[in-house]
Amino acid sequence: MNPYRNLLYFVLLFLLQLAISDYVHLGPWVTVTLFPLLIVLLPLSWSPHKVMLAAFVMGLALDVFSNGVMGLNAFAAVTAAAPRRFLYRTLVNNDRQDETVLMTLRQAGFIKYFKFLLALAAIFLAAFILLDCAGLRPFGFVLGRFTASLLASTALCLALSLPVQNH
Amino acid sequence: MNNRSGLLPTLTAILLFIALESLSLVLVTESGVVQRFRIMGTLRSVQAWGWTRTSNVSHFFNYRTENERLAAENLQLHQELAAAQAAARAADSLEVAVGPDFTWIGAGVIKNTVDRQHNHLILDKGSCEGVETGMGVVSSRGVVGIVDGVSPHYCHVVSLLGAGQSVSAKLGKSGAFGPMSWPGREPGLMLLSEIPVHIQAAPGDTVLTSGYSTIYPPDIPLGSVVSSQVSKGSSQELTVRLFEEFRSLHHVYVIRNNHQQEIEALYESLP
Repeated sequence: MNPYRNLLYFVLLFLLQLAISDYVHLGPWVTVTLFPLLIVLLPLSWSPHKVMLAAFVMGLALDVFSNGVMGLNAFAAVTAAAPRRFLYRTLVNNDRQDETVLMTLRQAGFIKYFKFLLALAAIFLAAFILLDCAGLRPFGFVLGRFTASLLASTALCLALSLPVQNH
Repeated sequence: MNNRSGLLPTLTAILLFIALESLSLVLVTESGVVQRFRIMGTLRSVQAWGWTRTSNVSHFFNYRTENERLAAENLQLHQELAAAQAAARAADSLEVAVGPDFTWIGAGVIKNTVDRQHNHLILDKGSCEGVETGMGVVSSRGVVGIVDGVSPHYCHVVSLLGAGQSVSAKLGKSGAFGPMSWPGREPGLMLLSEIPVHIQAAPGDTVLTSGYSTIYPPDIPLGSVVSSQVSKGSSQELTVRLFEEFRSLHHVYVIRNNHQQEIEALYESLP
């Protein structure tokens, strides 16, 4: 994949996320999100400032175009984007090799990639579900929704990571 | 230098994070009713916590001013009460109103001893404010002592906590009265003596000034009875715990009996 194809893939993923938000309703227990993958696919050379701003813009765009609560995705996306560099250096590139332009499943290896994606998804979903439930739902429901959403979202993100290649 | 160059991006990243999250929360608040309720509730709790803390700090620094204001207000109330009592007595007895019997002068305590056998206080009011030797000194919680020396701006007070000092006191229930003095053991405990044996005094009974002196007005609460014992076979000695806490005296009132000279002149004219 060349950079333009990656960019096109990124846009397609965002449109898919939009479609999931608008048309895919799996009930109150499952929230499927592709935001962890979208955050992973942002260039590694970007500073945390850029990553947070990009995540905020994407989250806000999703909030505007979907029928959800305005600001909910933006809040969760920024929460997940903020520690991206820290998580990458802790979970993936802990031997401090040269950082590549784009993080891919093949380049990082399945285990490291999976842990990184899982951490981002957990942070995103924790922020999203806690704010969405606003403390009014029982803890058991929140925990169940978080677990189910984490499994579904991570699995889908992993599957959609396969076509991404470094250039 | 490296530390500085690394610190600035971190700080700006934290600030940006806070700004973006705050903006998101504002949007959530505007859009979601439930989220608005929860977020505003949390914010109000944080605000209330902050206000309580700042209020406590501000109260701490304003204690002195607040105490002075309360003392001034108390003084005014005492004076109004004295005037009202005089007017009520005049109305009851159809006598000509001659004004209040006592005038109250507010004063601050600048020196105070409680752990000697002859204790004393120094107040920040003197002859310039109308204080004279022989005037009584009270607080909102009881009798304090008697003025025995005056300079233009200060006066010296012999504390009630002193050997040989006494105040005429009565039991609130029965009205039986006698001299109350300090036995010199503990600052809060006094002895009320010469109470007839047939008078029943229970622990907790209130002891007041009797008013049978020209120094103190009647019915100023002094303390409460702790115990009683028969003394010399013919009278009781009551142990009284004072309401006044002499160790924490800050504001007192010097009392002028407006009819003192007339009463003393009457005594002197008697054979």
